[in-house]
Amino acid sequence: MRHAHEFSSPRLRRGELSLGEKFWQISWSLVLLVTLTGCVGLVMLYSAAGGDWEPWADRQAVRLMIGFVLMVGIAVVDIRFWIRNAYTFYAVVLVLLVAVEIRGTIGMGAQRWIDLGFFQLQPSEVMKLALVLSLARYYHSAHPDDVRRLPFLIPPALMTLVPFALVLKQPDLGTGLMLVAGAAAVSWLAGVRIWVFALAGIAGLGAIPVAWQFLHDYQKQRVLTFLNPESDPLGSGYHILQSKIALGSGGVFGKGYMNGTQAHLNFLPEKQTDFIFTMLAEEFGMVGGLILLSLYVILLIYGFAIALRCRHQFGRLVALGVSTMFFLYVFINIAMVMGLIPVVGVPLPLISYGGTALLNLMMGFGLLLCVFVHRDVQMGRRGGFDD
Amino acid sequence: MIGPFKTRRRPFAYPGEEIRLTGDTPSPRPTREPDASTKGLETGRLRLLVTACLFGLAFSVITGRLVQLMVLSSTGTSTVATPSEAPPLEARMARADIVDRNGLVLATNLPTVNLVADTRAVPERDLMRAIRVLPTLFPDLTSEELADRLVPGRAFVYLRRNLTPIEQQAVNDLGIPGLHFERAERRVYPAGRLVAHVVGATDIDNQGIAGIEDAFDDRLSSSEKPLRLSIDLRLQHAAHQVLSDAIDHFEAIGGAALVMDVHTAEVLAMVSLPDYEPEKIGEASEDARFNRATLGVYELGSVFKVFNTALALDAGLPLTDTFDAAKPIRIARFTITDFHPERRALSIPEILMHSSNIGSARMAMVVGPERQQAFLKRMGLLDPIPFELPEVGRPLVPQVWRDINAMTISFGHGLSVTPLHLITGVSALINGGTLHPPTLLKTDPATMPPGQKVFSEQNSMRLRAMMRLVVEGGSGRNADVEGYYVGGKTGSAEKQLKGGGYAKDSVLTSFIAGFPISDPQYVVLVILDDPKAVKGTYGFRTAGWNATPAAGRLIAEVAPLLGVTPTHHSPEGHFDATVIRQVGLKVEDGEDKHLAAR
Repeated sequence: MRHAHEFSSPRLRRGELSLGEKFWQISWSLVLLVTLTGCVGLVMLYSAAGGDWEPWADRQAVRLMIGFVLMVGIAVVDIRFWIRNAYTFYAVVLVLLVAVEIRGTIGMGAQRWIDLGFFQLQPSEVMKLALVLSLARYYHSAHPDDVRRLPFLIPPALMTLVPFALVLKQPDLGTGLMLVAGAAAVSWLAGVRIWVFALAGIAGLGAIPVAWQFLHDYQKQRVLTFLNPESDPLGSGYHILQSKIALGSGGVFGKGYMNGTQAHLNFLPEKQTDFIFTMLAEEFGMVGGLILLSLYVILLIYGFAIALRCRHQFGRLVALGVSTMFFLYVFINIAMVMGLIPVVGVPLPLISYGGTALLNLMMGFGLLLCVFVHRDVQMGRRGGFDD
Repeated sequence: MIGPFKTRRRPFAYPGEEIRLTGDTPSPRPTREPDASTKGLETGRLRLLVTACLFGLAFSVITGRLVQLMVLSSTGTSTVATPSEAPPLEARMARADIVDRNGLVLATNLPTVNLVADTRAVPERDLMRAIRVLPTLFPDLTSEELADRLVPGRAFVYLRRNLTPIEQQAVNDLGIPGLHFERAERRVYPAGRLVAHVVGATDIDNQGIAGIEDAFDDRLSSSEKPLRLSIDLRLQHAAHQVLSDAIDHFEAIGGAALVMDVHTAEVLAMVSLPDYEPEKIGEASEDARFNRATLGVYELGSVFKVFNTALALDAGLPLTDTFDAAKPIRIARFTITDFHPERRALSIPEILMHSSNIGSARMAMVVGPERQQAFLKRMGLLDPIPFELPEVGRPLVPQVWRDINAMTISFGHGLSVTPLHLITGVSALINGGTLHPPTLLKTDPATMPPGQKVFSEQNSMRLRAMMRLVVEGGSGRNADVEGYYVGGKTGSAEKQLKGGGYAKDSVLTSFIAGFPISDPQYVVLVILDDPKAVKGTYGFRTAGWNATPAAGRLIAEVAPLLGVTPTHHSPEGHFDATVIRQVGLKVEDGEDKHLAAR
């Protein structure tokens, strides 16, 4: 019963691990998988540039290395640091979101970036993590009976809806919906009762006609195009039709690396970001696409497994929140390029070119590893040690 | 020591291990810590399972869709579409011919081949040979250029388009693997630049980009039936010849010539110079691609007095009314003067014959600006003209129609229209008063729409008599072709400068004529852009000395082709006796042509 030893060890429960021990505790297999997926991204970006490190693959490689350091760094920080400062992070990111609204950089028609000098930060991406952390802390500190009371759910609802509204105003519908879906998943796993979700769902559906009025023309266009892409094959239906053609031309084994005609002849738009999965599937075929999907599934299984192994609510919710966000990235992006859902600008995690999303995901995996390292730590309601 | 260090020997090492771990150890904990927080963990566990199932379901959907899109769906896209199999080419092969009204071909297709290379299939040695030898076959290719394009590993490179059969054989004889021929077609224009601005041109992919080719792009690419135009290639040739001779002789920078059937408003000839070779439209200058006949809008000057005279008749003024043209008119900061001042009161026919600006302005003021604007609107001169070509200019109309505008417009300034507007309007005025939209398509008079009545039969006859007077005794004498009884009007407009104001030494001259004016069948219009005073014009650059004789020569050339018989014309029997008297036409076609109304 060697596991019993682990559970009963007071040092472990108190989280008194030296840095070296923590390094040993890190799930290096998970680190390897994350890095491997990131490298698939580098390979695809090299191909997207027509066989060149410039202009994407080289910069992505640097970000991947920075992300790697961040991931491991976050993993060995005491988890009680994260629970204590969860609200602080949330507040800082919220302030950044407001700052973007006031004086952000406008790119591609939307106001999403904030210029930090060396880095263009997209606070809405970081908000995904901050929201997961603060919700996890909120539910962690709650008594299970609290969760069943409706007034108790007002703070998390506000915590979700305020950034949601800010992100929606940028406008960035995809990220906004991800925030809501992620928050809903965390709340669901924290034990909020089903009828609350049903009620919120109905309210959300009822809000659609109202929200439709506030959607930008291009967003309405995307939804309408999704319903019938062939109606406007040269306009907004273009992306999805070209993507489907590329997928159809890939076949079982693909056209071979750097031989994807749809992508390399520039029929495929945004091939280095949102539509990179299409390029991968065109070049490596269905087999390549399925292998990548399997990588993602394994990463998700890790997330769930770590949540299961964790002995405190905070870690469990953080692990599930991060996993859910990751799942949403994968699902929304791939379903979009295959024409299952409307076109929304969500990158393919760890693969698509783009700094904030990649670093954000690496930090997310850092938190996941941190939860795993500190899976047996006992925490009080405020993150202190009160055995 | 056991405890924490035990995990060190077996770190979390392979995917899924922790699932096995949890599978082993779910039971100890509830018994160990049966407090409230574990209850939360337990509900969480169930919900976790539900979430995992949902995620799994989502992944199954994605996977299914992936398989469906990539393998199962055979939506017609073959995995490798070789150029020769691509269906659009077959569709393009069917682009219809364009023919003139007599069936002569103006545009057709020539099957050719394009030389393409698949450098993956070219052996290294042959690649070097191709780079060396191909320039000797095609002098327009250079070795450097080929070396740039023939990079190994490229599946499809265009080397040269439209090979002749001899060239194709020569390439075949090289025996280089990887050089392929792509079936193609080339749009050819047998009449060349003669019909440039009418037929227009296609781009490298045989899609219309100008003229009829652009306007009827869908029709031409969807039907194999030839498109029959109203153009008569013989008349087109005559117009082209006359206009280019006149431009050469008078050192003009450009010009336009039009021939129209007055009853159907079919355009029988339309030339705008300079022009271009339709097959080489890409090399043509912007000026050459500019259609002066339909796209250019100009202040046309005195030819507009035809409309002003028609306006006076339409308003019911009698021909004998006189208007004081003794002194220049000063209005605001303008002074209206005459080019050939008569310094007396003039009747309406005299005003047209002497082309008096002062008289015209006074006529317009008697009728009034509102009525003038309404009349010109009715004549279609204030709106873009409905026409098949995409190159159609929009008239420049004054924002506010004040007295000064009415006065200048009466003699053709302050309102810019296209030459097509002018010829269409004059057609309607002299054909008995029915306005038809101009067309470039052959029209059957029996089935054509009725047209719009804009002017009375009686006034039309009066106007024709006055146009005859201009040719008999006014500035149109040089267009009087014996036997065809020409009637017309000259116009010489100082050209507007870009920054505003008018150029003193740069004019746009024009002559519009109907023949035979006793019973008009056709209208011709010749416009010269910036003709110079040359030897033989006595230092003049006005229309009477350049556009008018050119129009006369054009009438002399096209009238026999149109089947108009030259006869001895007398105004009697065509015009009322009172009109002949009031206008002052010669009754006997006598010897002294310069007698009348001098």
